[in-house]
Formats: sequence, structure tokens, C-alpha cells
Amino acid sequence: MKERLDAILQDGQEKIKAAMTIAGLGDVKSGLLGKQGALSDILKEIPKLEVSLRGEVGRAANEIKSKFTEMIDARREEISIKASEISSDFDLTVPGIEPSGGALHPITQMCYDLNDAFRSMGFEIFEESDITSELYAFDNLNFPPDHPARESMDTYWIAGSEEKRGGERLCLRPHLTGASVRYLQTHKPPYRFVYPGRAYRNEATDAKHERAFFQYEALIVDRDFTFSSGKIMIKSVLSKVFGRDVPVRMRVGFFPFVEPGFEIDMGCLVCNGSGCSVCKRVGWIEIMPGGTPHPNVLKAAGLDPMEFTGFYVNIGLDRLTMMRYGIDDVRLFRSADLRFLRQFK
Amino acid sequence: MKLSLNWISDYIDLPGDLELSKLAYDLTMSTVEVEGVHFLKDMFEGMVVGVVREIQKHPDADKLVVCMVDVGDEGDAGGGLKQIVCGGTNLSEGMKVAVAKPGSKVRWHGEGELVELKKTKVRGIESYGMICSSSEIGLFDLFPFEDEATIMDISEFDAAAGTPLAEALDLDDVILEIDNKSLTNRPDLWGHYGIAREISAIYDLPLKELSGAVPTKTDAVETGGQVPCSGEADFKIIIDDTERCPRYVGVNIDGLFVKPSPFWLQSRIWRVGMRPINAIVDVTNYVMLATGQPTHAFDSDIIKENIVVRRASDGEKLLLLNGAEMILTPEDLVIADGEGAVALAGVMGGAKDSILTATDKIILEIANFDALSVRRTTIRHEIRTESSTRFEKSIDPQRVDLAHALAMQLFAELYPDMLVTGFHDNYPKPLKGNTVEVSVDWLEKRLGKRIANEDLTSILKRLGFDVDFEKGGLSSNLTAGLMRVTVPSWRSTGDISIPDDIIEEVARIHGFENFEARPIETTFEGIINQPMIDIDRKIREYLAFRCGMNEVFTYPWVSEEYVNAVMPGNEGLLEISAPPSAEERFLRCSLLPGLCKATSDNLRYFTEFAIFESAQVFFDRDYSVLNDSREKLPLQRRNVAGAFVGGQEDAELLFRKAKGALESMSRFVHMEPFTFEQKEKPHWADDVVWLNIFTGGQGGQGAQGSQRMQSETENLSPCFKLGSVALLAKRVSLDCGIKNAAVVLFDIDIDSLKPFASRTNEFAHIPEYPMTDYDVSLIFDSSVKWEKIFEVATAKMGADSMLRAVSFVDEYKGKQIPDGKKSVTLRLAIGSLSKTLTSEEIENCANAIIKRLVKTLGAEAR
Repeated sequence: MKERLDAILQDGQEKIKAAMTIAGLGDVKSGLLGKQGALSDILKEIPKLEVSLRGEVGRAANEIKSKFTEMIDARREEISIKASEISSDFDLTVPGIEPSGGALHPITQMCYDLNDAFRSMGFEIFEESDITSELYAFDNLNFPPDHPARESMDTYWIAGSEEKRGGERLCLRPHLTGASVRYLQTHKPPYRFVYPGRAYRNEATDAKHERAFFQYEALIVDRDFTFSSGKIMIKSVLSKVFGRDVPVRMRVGFFPFVEPGFEIDMGCLVCNGSGCSVCKRVGWIEIMPGGTPHPNVLKAAGLDPMEFTGFYVNIGLDRLTMMRYGIDDVRLFRSADLRFLRQFK
Repeated sequence: MKLSLNWISDYIDLPGDLELSKLAYDLTMSTVEVEGVHFLKDMFEGMVVGVVREIQKHPDADKLVVCMVDVGDEGDAGGGLKQIVCGGTNLSEGMKVAVAKPGSKVRWHGEGELVELKKTKVRGIESYGMICSSSEIGLFDLFPFEDEATIMDISEFDAAAGTPLAEALDLDDVILEIDNKSLTNRPDLWGHYGIAREISAIYDLPLKELSGAVPTKTDAVETGGQVPCSGEADFKIIIDDTERCPRYVGVNIDGLFVKPSPFWLQSRIWRVGMRPINAIVDVTNYVMLATGQPTHAFDSDIIKENIVVRRASDGEKLLLLNGAEMILTPEDLVIADGEGAVALAGVMGGAKDSILTATDKIILEIANFDALSVRRTTIRHEIRTESSTRFEKSIDPQRVDLAHALAMQLFAELYPDMLVTGFHDNYPKPLKGNTVEVSVDWLEKRLGKRIANEDLTSILKRLGFDVDFEKGGLSSNLTAGLMRVTVPSWRSTGDISIPDDIIEEVARIHGFENFEARPIETTFEGIINQPMIDIDRKIREYLAFRCGMNEVFTYPWVSEEYVNAVMPGNEGLLEISAPPSAEERFLRCSLLPGLCKATSDNLRYFTEFAIFESAQVFFDRDYSVLNDSREKLPLQRRNVAGAFVGGQEDAELLFRKAKGALESMSRFVHMEPFTFEQKEKPHWADDVVWLNIFTGGQGGQGAQGSQRMQSETENLSPCFKLGSVALLAKRVSLDCGIKNAAVVLFDIDIDSLKPFASRTNEFAHIPEYPMTDYDVSLIFDSSVKWEKIFEVATAKMGADSMLRAVSFVDEYKGKQIPDGKKSVTLRLAIGSLSKTLTSEEIENCANAIIKRLVKTLGAEAR
């Protein structure tokens, strides 16, 4: 009898240990403790035993029973902590549930990246209205009275004002620079601000030309600032935005509102400067005009140009964003086409 | 603009070790953008001079011959003779021809793509490359022909068989392609001499004189190298409008005849993109390409009496050289003779006076015309020429002398027997050269670097400036350390006039890359705090990231179709005077028409989406002064608008989504919350599903405090108050081309929002005792609004009640609910601040509320 009990104990312990799931443990439990179990058999046999043995066997069997119960409970806890309650054929390759699918426009994203970079260097953000006047778009900026940009073939003049002059001749701003003077007029030097916004030009559209586009202007006006510092500023910002070191060069360029004026190129990120079709094989891509604000512009803002100087750049956001993603048609930006916009999360 | 490096080398000796890539880079950095560098000889790769030794008929083709051509491959078997099949009709033995060897690239019959030649058989006969016609190798302009089957005859060239073709024709040149845009402010650079001057300045190399012989004014005075002028030609130059024509030189030249110009001259003109015509015309073009000064030759037999430079009369007609008949206006400047206009000044000659085959004497015009006048004329008549392009840039009148001298030199060279029979230089308004005074200390401050006086002088002198340093108080304004710079005539027409221009000259020649940045001073005052700027970004990020909307950009000009559909009318809209198209002349006063168009467009590909746009809108009213009293700008407001789009059956859900986005916006954006009320239905809205949006927490009362803001927003019809949120009316949907979809739109005037100065979330202690959510479903009359249910349910909420909050769970109509009724489930948050409630207490609390709802609003338990 003792051997049988030992064997039951032995066997039971092994089965309990071997159970790997809650269900399996349930089976083991009913096998060991259930009515059909080996222990029940023994208990059923007790009345047939000699009276002197009955007590001992009964005790031993009950001990085993409570031992089993204890072990099963312990094992159940073990299993339920360790094991998954999920069926093992759960398909892990099914895609997860996507969070809300909205996104900012890729140009807005670029703009905010630049805002963050410039703000980290102490630049304010400035905004102005889209409709301005010839006074601010051209006169204040040292554009000669006969400059071609003043013609209606280049600028969208507002009907009814196109024959007027100066402050009464209104247009959709052809660039942001005019309103920079507004900032200078309404704030105190030294100035350090960026100015993102829409600009408009009357031209035929194609994959590379848009009538409505985004500019991003940065302007510093201070008592002591040289164009070499401006170059470092541009380089820092572009390197942050593109996440890698971006070579920058400034070469001579002419714009009425700066003197000296620069064309600012960045090293082509596609070929790393070795020359490819994107950069027309020169290794550089023209990304923005820049320079020192022209003395007449500073005068228009009420500043003494002998005392103040500064640095200005005007980044074409459409172009920069196209470069960032390799977008080949600028018109996509204003298409409002979700097949395009949903690519930029 | 194209430049020939050989031509430039006439004026400057380039160092042998100067690499082209460096030259192109340095020019780009300091002067003009070099867009491309082309090796002319690449066109003629694998092409050599061949001498035709033997010509035989092709056995199987009537129009072909088989030639034995010496191509100079002496090592070869056959002594350099190659067999080539050819269809040329002008071949003769001993003729020198251009042979394109196998591997070279030609254009069949001068058309289509370049094709690489291979050794091949032509009608069964082996042929080694081909004998070329000029058009097949891009030389038609230099070797023109009439008959397609004409072979290019180069017998006159002194070159042995086998000489590379580029070398034989002296076409081993490098062509620099300059971006014209980078030249707009530099009238002095529109010719080879000007660019040579820049290169001389960059590398500190001597620039040679572009000299020539100039005729003297008086009769037959012969002094050193001057061309004598007989003065017998009787004509005068009368300038009527000296503003538009500051100078006019006319030279009467006799003893000419029309002939081709020498090959070297033709070739120079050709390689920079012009077509050789005849020697007389070629000289005028050559002079322009060398000096940048356009010139024009009139057949003087045609010119009657004097040359008059005058404004055209209204409607005056002029037949141009190119056959176009112009109808002129008094704004156009013409060259006229006694009978009428003969040329459009500075733009193009007339058909009447042009050089014809019989021309034997000319009047050579070397004149200066006002840039604006020329440009206006080119725009008015949509005609642009090499000449007008240069005059538009404002050429200095002094340059006439340079061009004049070169022209006389060339005519004398090409026509040794020519005679100058008349000469007039009418220069009523001599150009005054600019003088600029610059403080050397200031220059140092601006450059960030001291450049020695000698170096400043050297740099500026190389560019043609004169430099003078004041040694001390000669006049009260001039102190030591002042540099007086005299600007050369060719930089005095608007280019250089102020000290800042001198900075650029010095910096670009010194090399922009040779300046180091100086540290910048910074301060910690005035931290950036721009809530009204940041609010727009916060709203966009909220709509995109929290509400799952996609930001779109649309144009500010709105197609009339959408304006008419969405807006009550087009009154009060600004219009563009020359719009992208007639239907797009209106500027938006609302973002909604644009969003409706975007919705309609996207419905072709998507059935469910949400989009928004943040941009400015414009009104033709409330003009105000912003910074400058001379300026009055119309009302312009920043708006944000959105569209939730889905199936028609989802209209109610979409509305709740949009409303939810707006309700939560203030919390996420940290601004004063919105309230909603039906006050004035937007034109585009559905009759039932619409709400106006207000801010300030007092529905319909506008914002507290700011009177100004309130009155402004009240002006914003049709964007009532802050804006509205509504289902797009069926009629408007259809007008916008939107079918089978429900669209819920909202728009908000961002400029009226009131951002909080900081985050304003409030903290409450976490409840110490359990809080129970108790859901109650009740049946109400359909007409009972949630607002009312909420009001009744929360009527006694307060410190003495166990009710802590009431929220909406859902609303249900349909099966099991009688018509005209709805089931509303509300969630009651019940709990005590001082103890754990028993379930009986919770039930009691809930029942009290249910009882009130039943009693007050006629609710029935489900």
C-alpha cells in the first residue's frame, strides 16, 4: 500500500510539474483528485483494509491529497503568471491599429522645422498679411520705378488699384521682403526674426514653377554683423533641418534690396557634391538669395545704414521641400490631393 | 550667354595651369554664374580631314560613289587610304573633306538624335565611316548649302589629311555658358571684353587694350592710326528725344560690298550662338559680342536725308527686318529718315534699310538708348533681340567709343579699300561717372577684416576704378582713412553708387570665402513669447495629430463656380486685375469654397477623409493704415477651416466629430473655450445641422473685455462671429460636384481667438473614496435636447449631493423605441468625498435624478 501511495505521489508530482497550461493543469487535477483518480481508488479501498492500517493509509492519502492541492494551486499561479492567455495561433503579423491618420502639409513641416531651428537661436517668428502695396513690395525695397517686377505680367495687382501708385496700388505680395520693413518699423533693434509666408507671382505654371509659393525669410539687423556670420547661420540651420552636415557657399548675386547680395548654394545632397542630374552636374544647388540689407531698405525702416547692418536670406520653401523628398512637381503642393499629402506623416 | 574662351584669351593671357573647373568656379563665386563648360571639339570627336584620292561609281546604286580617302593613318595597310561610300554630288578628286570615323557621332541629314557610326556595308560595299555634309556635324551655319547632297568642302583649309577636324577648322575652343539672370545688373558683362576684365581682376592678370582706329571728325586729318574721314557724305544726326537717346554716333562708310566674312570671324560668332550672315552684318555682331555694345548698319542708299531719332507717331507703321509689321505708339523710339521710320531703336532694323546683296555703302549706327524705353518697347511688341537684351540692362554711352574703334578696325581689315565719308557723334548728355567715398574703418567693420590700402587699391584698379586716399583734412568732410573711389563709366549706370557697392566689389574679388565669421554678441533679454503666432501652429497640430485631419493648401483665387455655390454672392470680394484665368479672378473671403473643391477632387479617390486649411482671407472693405499713412490695406484675416467627409448616412456622426474637434480644441490649444449656438445660418449650411461658434464662454455674447476684437469679428459676414460648423447643404454639395457624400464644414477666424498666457489645466485631488459610474437609459421625446437633460440632471449637483458629474453616453432611435421618441443613455458619476457609499445610497442618488428627469422632462425608464 505504501508503495502505491509513494508511486501516486511521485506520479502526481511529475504530472503537476509537467502541466504547462491552466487547462492542462485542470486535467491533471481531475486525474489526481477526481473521482476516477488513483487517490480516490485508494480511499475507496480503505474500508477493505485492516482496521489497524486504515487510519494510517487514510492519513497518508489525505496528506497526499492536500499536498497535491497545494502543488496544483502553486503550479496554477506559476502558469498564470508565466504563460500567455492568448491562443498560440494569434497572428502577430497582422498590422497594428494605426493612430489617427492626419498630417501637416509637407511644406508646413519644413516651415516648422526651420522655425524650431531659428527659434533655438533666438529668432522671433513674424507673420504678415498676403495683400500689400507697391510701397512695401517695391518702393521701400529699392526697386527702381521701372523694375520689371512691377509690371502686371509679374505681380498680381488687385483690380481697381492697378493704375494707382505706391501705398494705394495693392497686390498679392510678390515676396515677403517688403513686410520685413514693417517688422523693422514696429520693433526695436537689434532685430532677429524669421518670416514664413505665401508669396504670389503671375507666371505660367509647370513642374518647376508655381504662381503661389512659400517663402521663408530670416533677417538680422544689428550694429555689427558680417556676411561670414550669416553663412554660418545658414549652414547651422540647414544642417539641423537635413540632419547632416550641409556644405554652403555664398557667391555673388544681385537683388535690389541687398548690398552685397548673394546667391546661396547648398551642396547637393543627392550626389554629395560630385555632380548629378539633380544639381545639373555642378554639385551645388541654388537655394536662396541673401545678403546685407540695402542701405535704402534700412532707411525705409528708419535706421541709420552707417550704424546698422545685417543679414538676410529668403528660402524658397517649395524648392527646399522638393529637395528633401525628391518631389518632382511643385504643383502637387497646392493640389490638395490626399494621395500625395498622406505620404508625409 | 555663351562665351568663347579663345575669344577671351584675345584680351587676357590665361595661365597655362589654370584649370577650367577652377575658372568656372571662381567666376561663379565672384562674378557670374557659369552654368556649363562645353568643349567644342567634343562635337568633332573622331573626325579628321580626309583627302579624296579616287572616286568610282557604286556598282549597285546610281546615287552613290565609292571613294578612296586619305585619312592620314600612315601606319595602316593601304597607306592611310580608306574606302568610304558617299552620296555627295560635289565630290572631286583632291578635295578635302570631313571624315567621320567609326565611333564618332553624327546627325543623319542634320536631324534627330546623334548616332554613333559603325563600320558598315552600304549596298554591299564596305564603308569606313562617312564623308560628312555640314549639317550632319552641326556646321551648317558655317558651311551652308542648298542641295541636301552637298559635301562639306574644306579644301581651303591648310591642314594635312588626318588632322583632327577641330584643329583644322580652329574649333578647339571652350564655351562657357553663363546664366543670363546673374548678368542682369551688369551691363558691362554682356561681351567678351567685360568678362575678360573680371577674370583679370580675379587673378590679377593684365588686361589688354581693345584698341582700334577711330575716324577723326575733321576732314582728312591724319594722325597716328586714325582713319581719315572725307566728310563728303552729307547727313546729319538729329536727336529729338535726348532722354531716350543720350548718344548717337553715325559713320558713313563707302567702298563696301556684300561678301561672306572670313572663316575665323564667322566661326567666332557661330560658336557663341549667332548665325553668320555677311561680312557687314557679321562685323556689327562681332562688335556687340566683344564689347557688349549693339551696333547697326543701314544701307545708306536707302536712307533719305538725315538720321532722326524720335518717338514714333501714334499708329506709325514699320516693317521690321524679320518681316513683322509693327504698329507703333508715341512711347516707341525709332530711327527715321526724311520719309519715315527705318528702325525700332535699340531693338531691330527695318526691312527697308537692311543690308541687301547690292549694298555698297552704309551708315553704321553706334548709339546709346535708354534702358526703360527699350524694355517697354520689347514688352509692348513682344519682340526681344540680342540688341534689346543689352540695352535693357542700361549700357553706358561711353562704350560707344570702344565699339566704334573696334568696328572701324574690322571694316578696315575686311575692306582695305573702304572710305569713311561721314562721321557724326551726337552726345548731348555726357555720362557723369560716379564717385564714392568710403571710410576704411567702416569697410573693415562691415567686412569683418582689415584689408590693406594697397590691396584695396589693387582690387579696385583691376576692375577699372580709380582709388585715392585722402591724406587728411583737405575739406571738412574728408578725414584721414577715407577712400575716394572713382567709378568707371561702364559701372556708372546704376550699378555702383554707394559705399555698400564698394564692399561687394572688394569682397567678391578678395573672395567671399576668404572672410572668417566673427562671434556674435547675444543677450538674454526679451525671451520669445508670441502666443498669437503659436496659436496657429497649435491648431494645425491639433487638427492633424489629434483629429486625424490632413492639412491641404489651396490657391487664394477661387474658381467662380465654387464661390457661387458656397457663398451668398461675390459682392465684397477682391479681384485680381490680371488673374490666372477669368474664372479665378476672385480672392477668397472664406476658405470654404477651396475646401469644397478639394473635397470634390478627393472624392474621386477616397470615400472618407478629413481635411483642413489655415490661411488668410480677404475682404474689399474696412481699409486701414497698418504702418504707413500713405498705405491703406483691406481687411485680411487668418482663418482655419476643415471638412469632415463621409457617406451620406454618416452625416450626424460627421457633425459630432467636427463638433467634438472644435469642443476640445480650446483645451489642447490653451485658449478661451468655444460655445455653440444657432444665431445666423451660414448660406452654405443645411437647414437643420448648423451652429455658430462663439468664444469667451458666453454663447452669443462675444468675448469679454476686448471691444475692438468683438466689433471686428461681428463684421466678418458670412463668417458669423468666430465661424460656424454645419453640414453642407445638399444643394451646395451638388453645385460643388459633390455627390453621395456628406460633408461637415467648419471655419474659424484665428485672429479672434484668445490664447491663454500659459497652460491652464486645473488640479483636483484624486478622490479618496470610490467613485461609481452609473449608466441610466431613459426614453425621451425626440424634441428634448441633451442640453436640457444635462441641465435637469445636474440641477442639484453640488457639495451636498453625491452626484459628481453627468456625461452623455449615446442616443438611440430605432427598433424598440416608439416613433417620436429616443433613448438617451447618460452616465452619472456618484461618490462621496467623506465615505464609501453603499449600493443602496448609490441607487438612491441615481433614482432621485431619474425621478427628476421623469417629472421635468417626461422621461420613461426603458
